[in-house]
Amino acid sequence: MRRLLWLILLSQTLYMGIAHAAKRPLLQLVVTAPYLEMHSGPGRGFPVIYVIGRDEIVTVLYSRTDWYKVRAPHGEEGWARRTDLSTTLLADGEPAPIPPYPDFSSHHWELGAGYGVYNRQNLVTAYADYSMTESLDVEGVLQQALGTLDNRVIATIGLRHTFIPEWKWFSPTAGLGGGYQHIVDKVPPAPLENSNEMAYVSLGARGFITRRFMWRADWRHYDVFNHLNVYEDLEEWKVAFAVFF
Amino acid sequence: MESRLCSILLAAALLSGCSWFHRGDKHPQQVVVEDPGAEPTIVEPQVNRRVVKTPKIKATDFELGGYFGAMSIQDFGTNPVYGIRAAYHVTEDFFLEGFLGRSKAGQSSLEETFPAITVLSNSGRHFTYYDLDVGYNVLPGEVFLGRGRAFNTALYVIVGIGDVKFADQDQFALNFGVGTRILITDWLALHLDVRDHVFEDNLFGVDENVHNIEGTVSLTTFF
Repeated sequence: MRRLLWLILLSQTLYMGIAHAAKRPLLQLVVTAPYLEMHSGPGRGFPVIYVIGRDEIVTVLYSRTDWYKVRAPHGEEGWARRTDLSTTLLADGEPAPIPPYPDFSSHHWELGAGYGVYNRQNLVTAYADYSMTESLDVEGVLQQALGTLDNRVIATIGLRHTFIPEWKWFSPTAGLGGGYQHIVDKVPPAPLENSNEMAYVSLGARGFITRRFMWRADWRHYDVFNHLNVYEDLEEWKVAFAVFF
Repeated sequence: MESRLCSILLAAALLSGCSWFHRGDKHPQQVVVEDPGAEPTIVEPQVNRRVVKTPKIKATDFELGGYFGAMSIQDFGTNPVYGIRAAYHVTEDFFLEGFLGRSKAGQSSLEETFPAITVLSNSGRHFTYYDLDVGYNVLPGEVFLGRGRAFNTALYVIVGIGDVKFADQDQFALNFGVGTRILITDWLALHLDVRDHVFEDNLFGVDENVHNIEGTVSLTTFF
């Protein structure tokens, strides 16, 4: 990991050079409101340090969350709010290409992480989800269960159906899929099998929180495939916060 | 003879007379009838239409960097710690962050008092952790260096869960902390953080929650 750390520090140094050397074309917009406020930082509390008047050109340098670093015609720089900048126009009179917030009902990607309980063990979970349609998703989950007797790493992939996707705040879901668990023993006796394939069914719910945030809750029932000629099943529940794109 | 000459002259006169009557057919006058419905003839330019491409706005919501510091591993002294961190800034208030760090435990007080006793093996002294956190910028603001320079800052709190591998065993850990981010430029930040990793341990025969507090300095890049 020490090598990785040095690699990151080296890449940061290189990025400094690249950031200065890069000369990409910048977006220029025409202010149509009486004035456009420029703040000293990308946040609501930072003071207004400059204003650009109507019909003047504003150059957009880059964005951070809901704020855009802009340059006034005489070279002054500051941060403009997304809602303010979206009132500007391109030189040909078209609306400024300020992307709106992704629509929750038709988003494509989710990345999330959360906490749960798997087989009565604490569970750290992370997932990525791709929506093929408004109601059908493919999700991949990577999680680690940490218990007193053993620790497990679980990876699954499956399909999830959202029953009423137009219900924004609470919408029930159901899914099924397959996966794999790897068991690391902590306390004797050692498990008879260290790794198993599994299949699961799930019931859950999802909902919108604000902007790009959403929540998920899931209950899963796993059937564990083993070579011991015994039926083995596990249960899991978890809650996760996610960002959607 | 005379009559033959007269007939030749007469024939020549007739031929020339005929040719005079047909003189207009030699260059017939063109009559152009314009179609009122037809498009007027225009000059087609030989220049291709220019496609204007609107430049894209670069987003700088991701942050990646490394850190060094000191970690107080409960019962095992204070030791150097280093690691990497990555964050995604969702709004001006909230961000999601992940840490991956490592330290190495020193001697416990028991081992120092009784050198013959070894509580941990060499590999067991490695303290490796990862955390997944939610952060909130509590106090955004500015700091000033002299009269002419101001740096944007934010005091933030983080809380999360993760895994600590210590004494050759993985443990579920809660993680919380406070930090300050000083933006040297818009894309380069210096962080000062204090974080605690809490997990349940029974290394000395008693189940107890152990606190492992670290203080770190980070350098991160926004991209």
